[in-house]
Amino acid sequence: MLRQRLEQFLFPVRSDAWITILRFGLGLQVILYAFSLRRDWSYLFAADTEGVISRELTEAILSVKSAFIPRLGWLVVVGGKLGLGEDATLALAWAALLCSGLFLLAGFLCRPSAVAAWLLHLAARGSGGFITYGVDSFMTIGLFYLALAPLPDRYSLDAFLFKWPLKAAYRIGFHQRVLQLHLCFIYFFGGLAKLLGAGWWDGTSMWRALTRPPFNVIPPHALLSVKYLFPFLGIFICLLEFGYPIFIWLRTTRLIWLLLVLLMHLGIAVAMRLQLFALIMIVLNLAAFGSIFSRYSLERQRA
Amino acid sequence: MQRKQLLILCCLAHFCLISVVCWRDTLSVIGRGYTFLPAFLTAYSRGAESALSVLLGERLPSSNPLRQLVSVYTYASGIDAGYGFFAPNVPENYKLVFEIHYPDGRVDYELPRVSSTAAGLRLSTLIDNIGGTPYDELREVMVKMMAYSVWQEHPEATLIRAVLGLVLLPTPNEFQHGKNESYQFTYAYDFRFPGASAGAKQP
Repeated sequence: MLRQRLEQFLFPVRSDAWITILRFGLGLQVILYAFSLRRDWSYLFAADTEGVISRELTEAILSVKSAFIPRLGWLVVVGGKLGLGEDATLALAWAALLCSGLFLLAGFLCRPSAVAAWLLHLAARGSGGFITYGVDSFMTIGLFYLALAPLPDRYSLDAFLFKWPLKAAYRIGFHQRVLQLHLCFIYFFGGLAKLLGAGWWDGTSMWRALTRPPFNVIPPHALLSVKYLFPFLGIFICLLEFGYPIFIWLRTTRLIWLLLVLLMHLGIAVAMRLQLFALIMIVLNLAAFGSIFSRYSLERQRA
Repeated sequence: MQRKQLLILCCLAHFCLISVVCWRDTLSVIGRGYTFLPAFLTAYSRGAESALSVLLGERLPSSNPLRQLVSVYTYASGIDAGYGFFAPNVPENYKLVFEIHYPDGRVDYELPRVSSTAAGLRLSTLIDNIGGTPYDELREVMVKMMAYSVWQEHPEATLIRAVLGLVLLPTPNEFQHGKNESYQFTYAYDFRFPGASAGAKQP
């Protein structure tokens, strides 16, 4: 009985609309990520002393964790054997990352593109070490799930050009369920950790988050006029995140909770200049829970 | 049917790892006394955090295949760290300023800089990581690398002094009464290139 229920929960019949959202959104994310670092790519990842922090140092620290984690240094070694300098290899890695993003956007060679984007971003994240932040973890999560997802989806170029058959609906549903559950963990623990800090209850954390460089986009004078809202906003964000694993599953609250979470991330993009972070969270949320509102999904479920 | 069972097993293992990592990080925050929870809980939290670290194989020798497997898998799937961003409170941030000393006694000041806003955000993360690292040698090496890139733009400089400080933000009420952000000196390093560093000054 329990096993049956678990199976029913983990293998719902779903359309592949969510894979389209994830593929398209991550393609866009990878492209924007690559363009955002275009001018500083070599400076951030160079091994010699011209870089901000030597890549060799961060890769040596990464090796303490494991010698098998992908890194740009591996590509530089291969490039060196082919007669390419470090700069040329790093530029090629950047171009390959951009191409994988473009291919994902178009849905061309979905699986190889997803795997390439995942590995190249993973290598940049590994070699970046000290310069990475939340967006990189979430990009890894998204690309990891995309690389394993039942690709291609019906709206990809692959489906149009090669007429590859769609994967079984239960597999499509299973992969979406995994992403949904992971998002519940993310928000639950994010909310829990915030709830344990006094600053989120009295509004101090809201003020600090908005005035702390480099997130200080809104002038502090403007923020002062709404300082009485900070305690409410702080508690609201904590409860929004902490309550996500419950209210996103309830039919009556699902839409409002999803919209509120999307609104929170849009707010982060505008008020804290964290556009890439906001985009990846919006993409993951829409892929996990947004696609269930699509007309096609509902029709398919009814059928 | 077998395929479904295999998927369920993989799914369970994946979420067990996520749970362990998330609880470990949450308990770590409690164990370090960063929350408003009573002090007696910190010792329990540290104990529980250690137990969870064992589950992740972190007490095994670094060459142990199981530890390697867990490390690579958690890193490659993005589940190697918890999700407590800006939690339990928004942390302080650091500022790094370079004093560039010239032979004629002139002193210029420079901040680390990059070309884009996105890279600037990463630079800010880097400086926070430098300030927050508990390893003195690592901190000095990283500051020296950044100072070297500054010296390359000013090769005539005789000395680059790197000053790392904590940015202290005013509260809304303090700001309303005219107080602005201030800096608390934490570390300073003098570097002469291409010679060796002259060591660090600490508070």
